[in-house]
Amino acid sequence: MTAVTAINMERKRGAASNGDAILGLIMVAPIVITMAALVFFPLIDTMWDSLHRINPMQPGTPFIGAANYTNMLTDSDLRASWINTFIYVVIAVAAETVFGVAAAALINQVKFGRRWLLAAVVLPWALPGVVNAVIWMWIYQPGAGLLNGILTTLGLPFDNHVWFNDRVSAIIAVTVVHVWRMMPLTIVIVLAAMQSIPEHLYEAARIDGAGRSKMFTSITLPLIRGAIAIAMTNATVSAFNLFDEAWVLTSSSLDTRPVLIQIYLETFQNLHFSYGMALSLVVTVVSLLVSLLYVLRVYHTTRFD
Amino acid sequence: MHQSWPFRIMIWLGVAVLLLWSLGPVYWTLVSSITPAADFSARPIHFFPQNFTLNHFERLLGINVDRIGGVEVWKQFRSALFNSVVSSLAATVFCVAIAALGGYAFTRLKFPGRRPLFIAVVATIAIPGYAVLIPLYRLMIGLHMVDTFVGITLIYISAFLPLALWLLRSVFESLPIALEEAAQLDGAGRLYILFRIVLPLAAPGLTAAAILTFLGAWGQYMVPLIFSPTQTKPLTVLIPEFATKNFIDYGLITAAGSIAIIIPALVVVFLNRYLISGLLAGSVK
Repeated sequence: MTAVTAINMERKRGAASNGDAILGLIMVAPIVITMAALVFFPLIDTMWDSLHRINPMQPGTPFIGAANYTNMLTDSDLRASWINTFIYVVIAVAAETVFGVAAAALINQVKFGRRWLLAAVVLPWALPGVVNAVIWMWIYQPGAGLLNGILTTLGLPFDNHVWFNDRVSAIIAVTVVHVWRMMPLTIVIVLAAMQSIPEHLYEAARIDGAGRSKMFTSITLPLIRGAIAIAMTNATVSAFNLFDEAWVLTSSSLDTRPVLIQIYLETFQNLHFSYGMALSLVVTVVSLLVSLLYVLRVYHTTRFD
Repeated sequence: MHQSWPFRIMIWLGVAVLLLWSLGPVYWTLVSSITPAADFSARPIHFFPQNFTLNHFERLLGINVDRIGGVEVWKQFRSALFNSVVSSLAATVFCVAIAALGGYAFTRLKFPGRRPLFIAVVATIAIPGYAVLIPLYRLMIGLHMVDTFVGITLIYISAFLPLALWLLRSVFESLPIALEEAAQLDGAGRLYILFRIVLPLAAPGLTAAAILTFLGAWGQYMVPLIFSPTQTKPLTVLIPEFATKNFIDYGLITAAGSIAIIIPALVVVFLNRYLISGLLAGSVK
C-alpha cells in the first residue's frame, strides 16, 4: 500500500473511530450482558452467600462468617470424597499422560490413514459423559458384561464378579471410564506438538548415530514438554470435575464419591445451599492451584532452554 | 526415516490395541443394541452377535409399545431426543453468533474497556460451572425459567461463550487485515465487511466453534439434571433413568446409547479436521 493511501486510511480511521467505538460496544453488549448476568453476578453471589447460612428449610439468612469453611474441616464425608478425588486425579492424570504420550508417538509413526485413526481415537471424547458411563456400566455388568465374559473365556474365575463391591476396583473402574473419555485430548495436544518438530532435527540425530529411543528422549520429549504440561493441566481440571461417570456407575456411594457429587448432594439433597457454595469455591481454587503447579514447573524447567 | 519390519509390526500391533481400546466399547454397545436380551448372559461370550433383533429400538421408538414406571418409554425418549436437539442447536447458533459479533469487535474495533473486558470474559474458562450453579438455580427459579428451553439455552450460552470467543478472536486475528482495509477504502461499512468478507473467510473457525459448543451442550449432564428435570429433559438425563435400582434394561440402554452416539460420531468422522483445530485452540491457552 502506498504512503498516500496509508495517510488516507489514518484520516478515515480518525473519523470513523467514534463510530467504531459505539459499534464495538453494541457488538460486545450481548457477551457482556450474558456473562455479567449468568457468570459474574452468580460468582460474586457465591462468594458473598458462602459467608451466610442459606437453607430453604430454615428461616432467615444470617451472616455466619467463615463457619461454612471451618465446618469443612470436621466433615468426615467431605474428607472421604476429597481423598477419592485426589486418587482420581493422580491415577487419571498419570494414565492419560503416560498412555496419551505413547499413543501420540504411535500415531505420529503411522503414515497411511492417520486421519481415520485420529477420528477413531477422538470418538470417546466426543460422546456425552453419561453415555460413556452407561457403555462401561454394561461392560462391567457382573452376569452378562463384556469384561467378565472376556476374563472367563481366558479361564479366569470372574464369573459374576461384581466390580463395584470393593473400593479399590470400584475406583479403578470409574477412573478407567474417565481416562477413556479424556485421553483423546492429551493425544491431540501432544500429537500436534510432535508434528511441529522439524524433521531435520531427527535427520541430524540419525547421522550422529542415535537410535529411536535416544531420539525420543533427547529430541521429542524436551520439545513436547510444554504440550505435556498443557495436557496435564487439562487432565487435572477435568479429573477434579469428575461427576458423570461416578454418578451413573455408583451413584452416591461414599467409596467412590468425588467432591463434585458431595457438593451436589449437600446442595440439592440436603439443601445446604451456602455450604455447597463454599465447597464449590474451595474446589475451584484447589483445582486451579494444582494446575498452576504444572505451569510453574514447566516454566522453571524450560526457562533456560 | 526407514522403518524396519519388526518396527512396523510393532507399530501395527500398537495401532490395533489403540483401536480396540477406543472403538471396542462403542462396538460392544452397538452390537448389544441389536442382540436379543435372552442372549445377553450367554457364556462363553460371543463377540459377534448370534441373533439379530430390532426389539430394543422398537420399544425405544414406540414401534412396539412398552411401559416403564407407568410412562411409555418411547414418548419419553422421543421428547428427550427432541429436547437434546433443540437445546444443543439453540445454544450453538446463539453462542457462535454472539461470539462472532463480539469476537470481531474485540479484534478490530477500538472501544473503551476492550482489553479488560476480553480478559475478564475469557478468564471464566478457568471457572468450573458448579461455582455459579447455585445462584443460577435461584436466579432461574426467580425468573420461572427452570425447565424451559430459554433457561437451559441461556446457561449453555454463558458456559460455552468464552471458549467460542477465544477461538474466534484468534481466527479473526489471523486473517489478513489488508483485505478489510481495501474494502474500507472502497467505502464498505464495518458490518458489510464483517458479514461479506470476514465471516466467509472465518468459516473453518466458525465451524470449529460450533462443533465444540454443540458437542459440549449435547453431552451436558449435571446442568440439565438441575435445570431441565422434566419438561425439557435431554437424552443424557433420560438414559441413566433406564437403570433403576432393581432392574436395568440393558437392551433399552444400549439402544438409547447408540442413538446418542450417532450425532457425535458423524461430527467426528466428517468434521474431524475442524474439531481437532478447535480442540487445540481451546486447550493451548
